[in-house]
Amino acid sequence: MSTVPRPALTETAAAGRGATPRPAGAAGPGGGRRIRRHRTYEAVSGYLFVAPAVILFAVMGLYTVGYGFLLSFAQWNGFAPHWDWVGLQNYKDLLWQNPAYAPRLHHAAMHTLYVMIAVPLLTVLVSFPLAVLLNSAKRMQGVLRSVYFVPYVTSGIAVFFAWQYILQPDGAVNTVLGSLGLGSLSQPQGWLGNPHTALPTMIVVTVWGAVPVAMLLYLTGLQGIDRSVLEASQLDGAGWWRTNVSVVWPLVRPITSIVVLLNLRDSLQGFQTFLVMTNGGPGDHTNVLGLEAYRLAFLKDLAPTLGLASALGWLLFAAALVIALINLRVMRSKT
Amino acid sequence: MRTPFARFTPKTRLAAGAVAAVLSLSPLAACGGGSSGGGGDAKSLTMWTFKQSHVAALKNAAAEFKKQTGISVDVQAYGPDDAYTTKVQAAAKTHDLPDVLEVHSDGEDFALGATGIAKDISQDVGSDWSGLYQKGVQTSGTVTPAHYKESIPSDSKSHGVKQGQRFSVPLTSGTFGIVMGNKKALAAAGITQPPASYEEWLADLKATTAKDPKNGGVSLGLKVKATGLTWALQPLAFAELGKDKYQALWGQDASADFSSPDGQKVLAAYAQMQPYWMPGTQTLDIDAADQAFAQGKSAWDIGGTFTLAFLQQNGMNPDDVMAFGFPGPQGGAVPKPALAPLALTGLTVSSTSAHPDNALKWMKFLAQPDVASKFAKDATEVPSTELGADAASVMGATLADMTKAFEGTPENTYDPNVNDFRPPGYDQDSMAEILADLTPLKQKSPEATGKALAKLNNNFWATANK
Repeated sequence: MSTVPRPALTETAAAGRGATPRPAGAAGPGGGRRIRRHRTYEAVSGYLFVAPAVILFAVMGLYTVGYGFLLSFAQWNGFAPHWDWVGLQNYKDLLWQNPAYAPRLHHAAMHTLYVMIAVPLLTVLVSFPLAVLLNSAKRMQGVLRSVYFVPYVTSGIAVFFAWQYILQPDGAVNTVLGSLGLGSLSQPQGWLGNPHTALPTMIVVTVWGAVPVAMLLYLTGLQGIDRSVLEASQLDGAGWWRTNVSVVWPLVRPITSIVVLLNLRDSLQGFQTFLVMTNGGPGDHTNVLGLEAYRLAFLKDLAPTLGLASALGWLLFAAALVIALINLRVMRSKT
Repeated sequence: MRTPFARFTPKTRLAAGAVAAVLSLSPLAACGGGSSGGGGDAKSLTMWTFKQSHVAALKNAAAEFKKQTGISVDVQAYGPDDAYTTKVQAAAKTHDLPDVLEVHSDGEDFALGATGIAKDISQDVGSDWSGLYQKGVQTSGTVTPAHYKESIPSDSKSHGVKQGQRFSVPLTSGTFGIVMGNKKALAAAGITQPPASYEEWLADLKATTAKDPKNGGVSLGLKVKATGLTWALQPLAFAELGKDKYQALWGQDASADFSSPDGQKVLAAYAQMQPYWMPGTQTLDIDAADQAFAQGKSAWDIGGTFTLAFLQQNGMNPDDVMAFGFPGPQGGAVPKPALAPLALTGLTVSSTSAHPDNALKWMKFLAQPDVASKFAKDATEVPSTELGADAASVMGATLADMTKAFEGTPENTYDPNVNDFRPPGYDQDSMAEILADLTPLKQKSPEATGKALAKLNNNFWATANK
C-alpha cells in the first residue's frame, strides 16, 4: 500500500489503473483520450473476467430452467426429435383432470404433507436440546460435536442401504428390541414392510440425516448469545429449564426459522431416500411428490411423460416459494 | 490500496482477461463438441448391454467374431436397467450412441425406433436369418398390426412407428412366472416332485413353512411393483378363467372386470398365498429376492428363466433348483397352462452407426446355433436361436426344465406378449400397488381390491377414450 500523498487525480483511481499519477488539469485532449481508452480497456477486461461465470450461469442455470419450464407445456419422452405442445394440459392432468395421474398425485401429496409437518418439527425437537446439552458440555465438546455430525457427512446411498438392512425383519432394530424383551414391538415384516410403520420410519431416517446441520446452526446461535443475558436471568432466579425456555429459545428463534425452512424445502422436494429405501412402497404407502416426479420422468418405460414430470417440478417450486415467503413473513414479524 | 493486479498495463489485463475467459469456457466447448458416435473405424464396433451376466458371454463371442471377420467388438455394460435407459437417452442427445444396443424386446426397441434412434432393419433381416430363431420369437422386434394399434395414441411410447418396420432381432428368450424351489428345503419338507396344481403348490408352501417358519416361504421382488401382478396374478388368472375371460378383466364391461365374480375368484385365489410370503419380501427388489432364495432365506422364489443365471452368480448350483411354470388351479378353465416364450432382450442397430453393415453382421453371427449354444452356456440363459435337440445338453437340466413350461397349444398358453386388450396408457405399476394391498400387505379384502383395480382400469379407459 502506498503511503505517499498524491495530488488531485485520486489515489485510488490512479492506483486502480496502474498509471503514473498526474496533477489535476494536466490532462490535455490526448490525455482525455488516453483516460477513455484506459476505461474501455478496464471495462472490457472486467467483462472478460466475469464472462465465464455469466456464460456458465446462462447455460447451466437460465437455459436449464427455461428448458424445464417450456417442457412443462409439452409432451415428450426424452428421445423424440420434436415436442408436442399441450399448453396447460400437463398441469390440469396432474391437479384434477386426468384420473390416471391426479389421484396418485393427491395421495403422494398427503404423504408429503405428513413428512413436511413431522420432519421439521422432530428435527427442531431433537436438535435444539442436543445443541443446548452440547453447548453446556465442559469436556470433549469437539469430539461430541463431531460424533453428532457423523450422520451428515456419511449420508448417502450406502448409508440408506445400511438403514434398509437395519430395518429388515431380521435386522438390528428387531434384534435389539427382542434382546431387550420388547419383542412385541418388533415388526415381523420389517419396519419398511408394514404399511403402518413405513412412512413414520422414513420420517425418522430423514430426521436422523437432518439433525446434524440443525444442531450445528443452533450451536452457532447459542454461542452468539451474550453471557450477561443468561447471567441476568440466573440472578433473577431462573433455573436451567426456565432460562432455556424463556430466554434462550426466543433468542434462537431466527435459527429455528432457518431450520424449519430448510427442512420444509427438503421434505417437499427430496426423494432420494425414498427412492433407495422404499421406491414408494410397500404398495404406494411411502410415495411422495418428489418421487412421483422422478417416476414420471424416468420410470415410465419411455412413455412421453417428461412434460408431466417437469410440470410437477414447477408445482413443487411454486409450493416451496410460497412456504419461503410465509416463513420470511413470520420471521420478520417475530424478530 | 494498490492491488497486485494494478502493476499490469491495461493491455496486459485485457489479454489476461481474454485468456481467462477462453480457458474457462473451453470445457463448455468440449461438452458441445459432437462426437460422431457409432463406433470407430470399419474394423471395430461398440456394443452396450444392461445385462452384466451377458458381458463375458458376449466377449467370448466377440473374440470368435474377430477371428472370423477381423472386426473387433467392444462390449460395455451399464446397469441397472433405469441407469442404462438414462445413459442411452443422454447418448442419443449427444450423438454418442454405440453401433449396437441390447434392448428390452418388443417395447424399448419400438420406442427407440419411433424416435429414430434405432435403425429400421426390416429389409436386412431375411427369412434365412429370422429362421434361425425359435418359432415364437422369429418376428420379435417387428411392428405387428397389434403393436401398431398400441402405438396410435399420441401418448403411446411407440407413437410414430409404422407397421412392418423392424427395430431389433432377439438375443435371449424366456418367460416370467417360473417358480423355483430349493430342492434341499423341499426334500426336508417331504417334497420331491413339482406340484400338479395351484392347490398342490399351496399345500407344498404350507409344508415348507411348517417345517421352517422363518425360511420356508416364497420370495418375490415386490419392491419392483409389477412383479406380483405380471409374474403371479396374471398367469393364475389366465389359468383360472381362460383366455377370453382373463382378457375381459381389463375390459370396460363391469360384469367381467376385476370387481365382477370372475375377478373376485381370481383375487381370492391369489390372496391364499398370504401366509406363505417370505417376511419382508415386499421390501426387496428382484435381485435381493433372488439373493434371499440363493442364501436359503426362502424355500421358493418366483422369477423367470433369466433368474437361474443370477442364482448361479450368487453361488447356487442350478442342479439344486426345482423349476416349473406357475401352476393352474384344479377347477380352472386351463388347469395345465403353458407359458409362451417371449423375446426378453434383443439387439438393435443405432441409426448413427457409421458401419451398420458390420453391426448387422455381428447380430447375425450371434444368431448362429453354434455361437448361441456357447452364449447359452456362458451366460446361463435361454438363447432365442433354435437349438433343436441339443437344447437340454447345452442349457443344463434345470434350464431345460424351465423351457418345458413353453410346451402348450394356443388355447392353453398364457402369452405375456399379447397386451392389446388393455387400455392404451395402462400403467401396470399403479395396478400392482393396489394388488399389493391385498397380499402381502393384507390391507384390503378381495372385494375392495377388485373395486379399486376396476376403478383404476376404468380411469385408463376414460383417458384413452377422450
